[in-house]
Amino acid sequence: MTSAAPKLRTVRPIRGLDFFVAQFVVGTELIGQVLIMLYQTLSFIARGQVDLKETYRQMYMIGVLSFIVVAITALFTGFAMSLQIARELVLFGADTAIGGVVSLALVREIGPITAGVIVAGRVGSSIAAELTTMMITEQVDALKVMRIDPVQYLVVPRFVAAFCMMPVLSVYAMAVGLVAGIWIAQVAANVPPSTFLDSVRQTILDRDFLVHFCKSWINATIVVMFSCAIGLNTKGGAEDVGIATTRTIVWTMTMIFIFNYVVTSLTYAPR
Amino acid sequence: MISVKNLRKSFAGREVLQGVSFEVYAGETLGIIGPSGCGKSTILKLLCGLLEPDGGEIKKGSPEISLVFQGSALLNSLNVEENLRLALRSKKMKPAEEDKRIAATLKLVGLGDYGAAFPGNLSGGQQKRTSFARAIVNDPQIILYDEPTTGLDPVMSTVIEDYMITLEKELHAASIVVTHQFSTWTRTAHRIILMHAGTIVWEGTPEEAVNSDDPYMKQFAHATKDGPMLLEQAKESHSPMH
Repeated sequence: MTSAAPKLRTVRPIRGLDFFVAQFVVGTELIGQVLIMLYQTLSFIARGQVDLKETYRQMYMIGVLSFIVVAITALFTGFAMSLQIARELVLFGADTAIGGVVSLALVREIGPITAGVIVAGRVGSSIAAELTTMMITEQVDALKVMRIDPVQYLVVPRFVAAFCMMPVLSVYAMAVGLVAGIWIAQVAANVPPSTFLDSVRQTILDRDFLVHFCKSWINATIVVMFSCAIGLNTKGGAEDVGIATTRTIVWTMTMIFIFNYVVTSLTYAPR
Repeated sequence: MISVKNLRKSFAGREVLQGVSFEVYAGETLGIIGPSGCGKSTILKLLCGLLEPDGGEIKKGSPEISLVFQGSALLNSLNVEENLRLALRSKKMKPAEEDKRIAATLKLVGLGDYGAAFPGNLSGGQQKRTSFARAIVNDPQIILYDEPTTGLDPVMSTVIEDYMITLEKELHAASIVVTHQFSTWTRTAHRIILMHAGTIVWEGTPEEAVNSDDPYMKQFAHATKDGPMLLEQAKESHSPMH
């Protein structure tokens, strides 16, 4: 062989403005994919094309298997938050308001956020890894060859399942947090459970629960749509499974916090 | 049954198929052979609609088309029976009829007792046979095989090749098999096309292929280092594209 040594492709790191432009393009592309997938998913649901058997299986995977981790997270968040609130309110002699303040935080913010973040971490990453692996191992191509729409078969059941289970998990997180609050209020501030619950009843409005459910449904949509869009648009090898999983966590968490603020500002901002 | 004319396809500016034409008739098996990266698998993906061609024409005599994937591509979350049921979805059959068809197909590929098994618990050969069963359960008129014997031991390769021959006789379908394996293309194909760098460089029967004096075919059939293919591949690998 007399030929010269092969030229190696050099990888130039993207710096400065180019980096932000590249990130913006990639992000815009992903949001476009999410919106298209959401439209397709809602179209299938409107036509009644939902695989119920797969939906029940996903409800178990997304909802039932998240109960323990949501409980642990909500319990300790409730402990920490109640301890801080009780400490401050006792100083001002407002012990009887502990229940109201704790429940407001739980219903309006902590419940949906805790469930959303846990589901994003546990389920979103799992969906992205599973779908990316299916892409890499040609399972998604196999579905297409069998004339089965991957969105109908893979995305719709997950979306319906998350939409049903996320409010359940949010209410559950709120309830566990409340139990933690009752316990801390009694131990740290000597507030009896009956006083705590009276304060809760006087503070919480029906609208708070409506906002709570809206946030849960938005979180469910974010987790499923971003994880599925990233999973079904990734190709390559084993390394790409890890990249897709990380990307899903980053995008879903960020979007959950952004939309949580948007809903809060639309419903509770002072007028 | 299948007619392909002047098929063209490019990826990132690199022309993988540069005007490929061939025909396959019902009851016939066409073997597509050639070195890695010559565009063989791309042809199959274009035929079953997974890719769109940049140019040329594909005519299929039937929409019932199946592909046996190189890596089996079985859905891991479903058992063998459910994988086959998926292929029957578009048929809208009665459950009892579906069960009967699935049982008969699994029996045909020697997996009658494996309906409840999950792909992760099957051997490579069993996965490949399940993939076969899924491909034929809906009585396709066109069957495409992508490297059906790659990665299997010689005995299992022979078993798979025997299944392909049996299926061809039973279904009378038009088949295309993409392969590197000498025994697969010599045993299962009626006609062979040899591809190189996106074009067909030789066409004939397996017998003619083995005895051919064509420099491309001779090099491929006798698996020799010296010949036009390796030299050109070396040139390609030194191009800026790589």
